[in-house]
Amino acid sequence: MKRLRFLSSGYGRGMAFILLVLIVAAGFATAEPRFLTQASLSGIARHMAANGLAALGLTFVVIVRKFDLSLAGVAAFSAMSMGAVIAAGFPLTVAIAAGLLIGLIIGGISGFAISRAGFPDIVTTIAVGSVCSGLAFLYTGGRSIFQNFFQSGITNLNDARFLGVGVSLWFLVAAYAVAWLVMHKTRTGLAFYATGENPNAAAFSGISTSRYVALAYMLCAAFTVLAVLLILAESGNAETNKGANLMMPAYAGVFLGAAIMGGTSVISTFAGILLITMLLDGFSLMGVPYYYSDGVVSLILLLGVVAFSDIARTWIGGLKVLFGQSGTAGRASGGQV
Amino acid sequence: MTEPILTASGVSKRFGPVLALNDVAFHVERGEVHALLGINGAGKSTFIKILSGLIQKDTGSIRIAGQEVDFKAPEDAIHAGIATVQQHPELVSDMSGLDNIFLGRECAGRGLFGRVDRRAMEQRADALLARFSVPLDLSREVGDMSAVEREAVAILQALAADDIKVLILDEPTSTLTEIEREDLFALMNQLRSQGISIIYITHQLEEVFAIADSFSVFRGGTCIARMSVAEARSENISLAALMLGEAIGDIFPPKGAAEKLGEVVLKVEKLTRDGEFSNITFEARKGEILGIFGLVGSGCDELAKAIFGVTPAQSGRIAVNGAAISPKKPRHALDAGIFLVPGDRRTEGLALDRPALFNVPLANLRRAANGGWSLKGRQIRNDAKLLTDQVALSPPSLTTPASGFSGGNQQKIVLAKGLYTEADVYIFVEPTVGVDIGARAKIYALMRNLSEKAAVIVISSDCDEVFGVADRTIAMHKGRQAEAQAGGLFDRDGLLLAGIMGGSMQ
Amino acid sequence: MTMTYTENSPSRPASGMGASRLAKLTIDLWLAVALVVITMAISSVKPQLLDTSNIAAMLKTFSIMSMMVLGLTWVIAAGKIDVSFMQIAALSNMICASCVGYGWGWAIAAGLATGLFVGLVNGWLVAAMRLPPLIVTISTAGICASAAAALGKGTVIRIADPGPVGSLLNTMLWGAVPVVVIPVLLIGALAWFMQERLAIGRYIYAMAQNEAAVRGVGVPVGKLTILLFGLSGLSSSIAGIMLAASLSSGQPMIGGPYLINGLTVVLLGGMMVRIGKPNILGTMTATLFLGVLFSGAALLGLPDYQRQIIQGVLLALGLAVATIASRHHRGKKKGH
Repeated sequence: MKRLRFLSSGYGRGMAFILLVLIVAAGFATAEPRFLTQASLSGIARHMAANGLAALGLTFVVIVRKFDLSLAGVAAFSAMSMGAVIAAGFPLTVAIAAGLLIGLIIGGISGFAISRAGFPDIVTTIAVGSVCSGLAFLYTGGRSIFQNFFQSGITNLNDARFLGVGVSLWFLVAAYAVAWLVMHKTRTGLAFYATGENPNAAAFSGISTSRYVALAYMLCAAFTVLAVLLILAESGNAETNKGANLMMPAYAGVFLGAAIMGGTSVISTFAGILLITMLLDGFSLMGVPYYYSDGVVSLILLLGVVAFSDIARTWIGGLKVLFGQSGTAGRASGGQV
Repeated sequence: MTEPILTASGVSKRFGPVLALNDVAFHVERGEVHALLGINGAGKSTFIKILSGLIQKDTGSIRIAGQEVDFKAPEDAIHAGIATVQQHPELVSDMSGLDNIFLGRECAGRGLFGRVDRRAMEQRADALLARFSVPLDLSREVGDMSAVEREAVAILQALAADDIKVLILDEPTSTLTEIEREDLFALMNQLRSQGISIIYITHQLEEVFAIADSFSVFRGGTCIARMSVAEARSENISLAALMLGEAIGDIFPPKGAAEKLGEVVLKVEKLTRDGEFSNITFEARKGEILGIFGLVGSGCDELAKAIFGVTPAQSGRIAVNGAAISPKKPRHALDAGIFLVPGDRRTEGLALDRPALFNVPLANLRRAANGGWSLKGRQIRNDAKLLTDQVALSPPSLTTPASGFSGGNQQKIVLAKGLYTEADVYIFVEPTVGVDIGARAKIYALMRNLSEKAAVIVISSDCDEVFGVADRTIAMHKGRQAEAQAGGLFDRDGLLLAGIMGGSMQ
Repeated sequence: MTMTYTENSPSRPASGMGASRLAKLTIDLWLAVALVVITMAISSVKPQLLDTSNIAAMLKTFSIMSMMVLGLTWVIAAGKIDVSFMQIAALSNMICASCVGYGWGWAIAAGLATGLFVGLVNGWLVAAMRLPPLIVTISTAGICASAAAALGKGTVIRIADPGPVGSLLNTMLWGAVPVVVIPVLLIGALAWFMQERLAIGRYIYAMAQNEAAVRGVGVPVGKLTILLFGLSGLSSSIAGIMLAASLSSGQPMIGGPYLINGLTVVLLGGMMVRIGKPNILGTMTATLFLGVLFSGAALLGLPDYQRQIIQGVLLALGLAVATIASRHHRGKKKGH
């Protein structure tokens, strides 16, 4: 009972998470000594930057209790658009601005359809994502874009270092710090959470809920664009399948983090994405084939949400009751199925 | 006298450290309407859950018609002849009444793969209706039905099981209007004449005298009294005193003093929204409580939502402190200094999974951020503490999720949220639905205190509540306003008549 | 003071004769009408659309696609979501391909068992563990996709002999109708019967509306949920097996495109018969509709990505109609 209460408190969960990270790191370090080398750690940092930005965007959507399945489509379309702008000879800033604008427009369309017109979120974002991945082929019919990439300086986003750490990680840390401040220390953040908790009550409190839902989708798409930007910087070209692997880690990061930390927040997503990226990179370092990566992430996500679900906690309670009397708690939970 | 249909003796139930029920002795006679009374936390809902098989008793015995029973699941209770209609009956709103009544019993086999036999269903419905005639078109979708029609469907659904001997009705009247209540009572009388016993839970004490034959009072987890209504009437026993364990005075605070009457804060003129209400005109002042009585469908709920900007009015004028406003959304009304305590606090008032600390500052984020953007955490905590103390939230916790509080205390959190906005006009819609008598008195007293600093408007379909708490009353009927003649005040019956018939009594 | 349900029971056909009944039928079956119209329109430009070989190809696609989404239809009708069906099909497809060496009977059994198992796991996680269906199925989809790829070490598994399923797919009646259409239509008819005449059909739609009400009257909602997800897994695994025979190989990456295709036909199908609610007849009509549309688009020379855009737009259109229909319903309720 004591340990359970310890786990449910915020600090306890934080400690549990740090412990988990240390165990995973120690496990990989013993299985594969290269895990702790500079090259491997900076690889983790780079991948975490891209995954982390996409997950951060998704966090806003999950906080208003919606889903966004258009991540892959938005990523593909914005990758090709930014690639086309760079190839046309415009400076990098213009390309980024164009990408962000496209992201905001797409997010705005999904957000408007869902918040104002009342469309169901899952299927709407699937439809939007599908149209976007079709639009990604408009520029080149699906061929890779690489012209001007080197000259534009986009690869610096990947290679440059500041205080010995890749700029992309600084970028990530800054994004999370700002998001944390906004979501947990300002009235905007409180309004986001109120919208997610009970949109009706939020509306009666004078909060414009549809605005926050639309805003969440726009932020999600914009952060997806930034994540894709880092991926383009790493690979040095734009292809239509860029960002296809962003969605699973993002979902896993948000929901695993929420399961561990006991609620969706900027910090919980950070925790989740750190864990997921470590696991992904660790396994790939150990020579696990690429096609296992989605499965590994999915499996971890599933195990995470199962282990931290309310029902599982009831079972733990039931096990404790077993010492005294028969496991009524377990049966009660089964009975409600 | 024959043996009681249902007898419980020595029933106890413990939840962790809390002894929710302690040695309860209880019985119901054949064919009587038996009221079950008690404040929230007295143990009556735990007891009802045991009777309907939702939870299991720890000790004690329950007998039905002399047979010892032990329910492991709701099906066992139904099989033994006890059917329960929950406080908010769960029905499928896009299916017809007939389909709802026989949901789960479409076919003899009762399996997932049984064939739906519509003809047999209709025959069974005929048989059911031969016993209880209800003025109800069962082919309509439940979503299109009124509250009392839904209640009737839920009761018929409960009775559709074979050989029901005891029917439990959990606060069926809380969402009904006065007229609908009469319809429900008529149905209950029919059931009684068929020999079915009814256990009837209510917070409305006057209903006990209107419909029940006898009653039991729960207090502190045990049944402290059982007597017949005739007995209570002849000995002039106060039910409220029995429930609270002490003699209480009037639950309504004293009326406002005329010399304290302040300036006009809210002025509403010829407010109209097509199909809902028209030409509503009134003023609300500081120092008084204005009561608006209207049944469901009278337009008074819609009027409140129009003043608060949820569903804007189409014509007419609203002015706060002399400045005209036309609120298009709640934000506009809040900015003008109006706060609405909504009728449905669970869906419109609170984020139930969140504590008071989260809920209290929601309607005034500007204050929470001290006019800026970043939240002032310490200040919010202090204010929330102050306000929850002021409304006497119990337990006085800022961190317990709102869902962990009783109905009355949830309402107090909404009230604290309102106080945080420092509004000039407070509109309460159905403020005490599902609130027990102890907490009701507290909420009325808070309204009276509030009226010293702001205009307070109470809108309710409970005539006694409006009459008891307000200094001045208006009735609404079918979207129109009915006022007492010559600027005078309604008496209680006049108000009731105006709300039900539309005319003031001469 | 009398009940008037008998002369006005809800499942009774539209009152009135001839014209109004025809009008109602047209509204109910407008997608079928649209199917005929679009077929005629495309074939007037490209007569090849109605060549026997093209009809055979379209019907083959129709058979596979219907099986892919038959179970999904009920999952969505019950107010849940399953985004793992196409990866279950991919996994069954690979398992079937890798088991063909032991004989087609075993391969089919292994494929079906896999689909049913994953579906039941989905249902159990949703019903018993109370996890959000999207998170559950997105995870099992990832696991299935990885498992499918791992089976073939990232590449395809070739099948020498497409076996009995292959002959069902490739034997033609009247030169244009693959034999497989017959069992597919029979399964569809059986599902339609279950949905319209058995208690389970009512519970599926009632569940989407108010799960607590259905649970409250003693219907085993948990078991029903597990069953629906199980059926979804089973039916998409049938599609996976058919794909193995049709392509003479196990293709690990075959799942991807079916997600959007599947959701489109289910939601488009939900626009007819039971407006705003996915149903079997609607799903099968929409499957045929989309098949003709895509075949026509290919004949007209539209590239693949344009078809994808058209499909996304169609899906959005289906959504819009479903949303408006349900809002109309809500509005009616409010206005009483």
